[in-house]
Amino acid sequence: MKNAAFVVFKKELTRFFSDKRLLFTTVILPGLIIFLMYTVMGEAMNTSFNTDDSTFDIAVVNMPDILENSFESERYNITDINTDDINSIRDKISNKDYQLCIVFPEDFNESLLTYTTIEKDRTVPNVEIYYNSSDIQSSNAYSEAVSILSSVEETVSNVFDVNRLDSPDNENIYDVASDEEASGLLFAMILPMILMVMMYSSCVSFSVESIAGEKERGTIASLLITPTPRNQIIIGKVLALSVMALLSGISSFLGTILSMPMLMGNMEDAVGGISAEYYVFSDYLWLILIILTTIILFVTLISILSTFAKTVKEASSLVMPLMIVVMLVSFGSMYGTEAKSELYWYAIPVYNAVQSMVGIFSFNASPVNIGVTILVNLLLSSVGLLVLTKMFNNENIMFGK
Amino acid sequence: MKEILKVESISKTFKLSSKQQKVEKSNSKTKTAVDNLSFSAYEGEIFGLLGPNGAGKTTTLRMLATLIKPDSGDAFIDGSSIVKNPDEVRGKIGFLTSELKLEDFFTPDFLFDFFSDLHKVPDEVRIQRKEELFSKFGIDKFSQVKVANLSTGMKQKVSLAVSIVHDPNIIIFDEPTNGLDVITAKVVTDFLEELKQRGKTVIVSTHIFSLIEKICDRVGIIIDGKMIVCDDLKTITSEKNLEDVFFDIYRERKGDEI
Ligand SMILES: Nc1ncnc2c1ncn2[C@@H]1O[C@H](COP(=O)(O)OP(=O)(O)O)[C@@H](O)[C@H]1O
Ligand SMILES: [Mg+2]
Repeated sequence: MKNAAFVVFKKELTRFFSDKRLLFTTVILPGLIIFLMYTVMGEAMNTSFNTDDSTFDIAVVNMPDILENSFESERYNITDINTDDINSIRDKISNKDYQLCIVFPEDFNESLLTYTTIEKDRTVPNVEIYYNSSDIQSSNAYSEAVSILSSVEETVSNVFDVNRLDSPDNENIYDVASDEEASGLLFAMILPMILMVMMYSSCVSFSVESIAGEKERGTIASLLITPTPRNQIIIGKVLALSVMALLSGISSFLGTILSMPMLMGNMEDAVGGISAEYYVFSDYLWLILIILTTIILFVTLISILSTFAKTVKEASSLVMPLMIVVMLVSFGSMYGTEAKSELYWYAIPVYNAVQSMVGIFSFNASPVNIGVTILVNLLLSSVGLLVLTKMFNNENIMFGK
Repeated sequence: MKEILKVESISKTFKLSSKQQKVEKSNSKTKTAVDNLSFSAYEGEIFGLLGPNGAGKTTTLRMLATLIKPDSGDAFIDGSSIVKNPDEVRGKIGFLTSELKLEDFFTPDFLFDFFSDLHKVPDEVRIQRKEELFSKFGIDKFSQVKVANLSTGMKQKVSLAVSIVHDPNIIIFDEPTNGLDVITAKVVTDFLEELKQRGKTVIVSTHIFSLIEKICDRVGIIIDGKMIVCDDLKTITSEKNLEDVFFDIYRERKGDEI
């Protein structure tokens, strides 16, 4: 004999998998959109910060001998000009034809040579640099020129260095954070929040449609006049909806985690190589279990709210407050990136999932805490299923006008 | 003759929301839709509930089909109580009313299989029954067309086929010809008579005199939720035709407010 819950489960999934458009918009699209969005964002940020291959036209008045070497690069087109030409160059900078105009005082060479640290109160020579902050090229040239000049100034008056990079490839040996830890910190900050919100909204879209939608269209009554026990109908539905939401959630998750390295590419120097490759199998297993049980809980809660509603529209507004709670709790994880260690935190639904995920992403997964989270989720879902069964047996809720 | 359906003074009162009060043009916060109703139906007959709109026919049938529970009283379908053993009752009846819809997305073929599985019909039986019913109603040509794309008449025929996937002995049918074109209506009434030939018991509700006169063996006239007369059609119409009998009764109960 075919199990009734399985028959309902199969029907829901048949509906889902044979509707190509639904499948595309709920499973393929979310991951794809996230992936493309983050990749394009990362790409855009990279190009706007990346100046390596651009050349700058720079006009210089009174180029001092000791600086000629510093500006000797294929990327700098240096033109020597007179004080009289400054105005016309300034116009060109504002038209973005020129990037910079550097004006050294006439006696710059001498003042550097005669400089001593003892003469504290004499006025030091001023180098003027004209640039155009509304032009990215000019701004970049400006910051490069400033850093060249500052380093020259430092060598003239050097008293001490901080974190001098001596190695040939300028590798930062002072930041002791490994790439692994940097990835962990970043993922722990961002992913739990994104995942929770994604999960909730995909649970909403499936459950509201399947429960309130069937009520509104009158198809649920056709199910209710069959001898199928109510709890079997509910279990079949909740499990099928959870599978759909899980697929949609996995899609968003893959999109996020695969595009993260590209989004963070430009911050390479600051945080090192971001990658999901540092997580091991058990991390992913825990993660899937947390996600699955949280999804089951979400689907159950949303189904309860949807059963109270008479229409999809009404259900959509009933589930909004819960969405806000989920968002607030999840956003909390962006601060305090340490996962809570005390067990009692893990008895609080939603919060426990966020904390467990923070733990997993920051390489501090605690099996006990995660186990409690999973148990609490399943326990609450079972209570929810009992409530749903009671509701399905209540004619005022199911057929009330 | 076996008394296969026995209704024992069932009542149903609905609470009215303020919106419903306006629709019903009533100041009362409640509406008694069915009031102490009793009747019986015998195996192998077609029993008709006749009454004007709002008389309580649909509410009565919904209670018999266990969608809603009576406030008081009980009914027994082939021995099973609609109050105490609703799951048992659901397995014994086929119920059809406009409230029950089929999911637009699926095909008649899929839905027939789905409801067969829910009724735990064995696969071989299901296949044979499906072929038989689909060819009888002309559904076979449309068996792979989504319900959304079927005509109203075809939808109704699919609903009918799906409601009897488990070959129930008692078929409860609310307003069987409502909204159907004359040809589909005839297919449906012919089928109800065929069910009777096969020994099934059919309960229908309607406000159409001719339907009762055409197919029913016995009839119960309901007004304001109360059973006024319940007897053999022949006995009731021995002197006058059904329409005249009905309006005599109606005038007697309601005065001249026709
Ligand atoms: N769910 C409900 N809530 C409130 N009133 C209802 C409900 N269902 C039916 N009624 C009222 O009960 C009365 C009987 O309705 P119904 O059984 O549908 O009559 P019929 O099928 O004979 O036309 C009507 O006045 C109707 O408005
Ligand atoms: Mg009716």
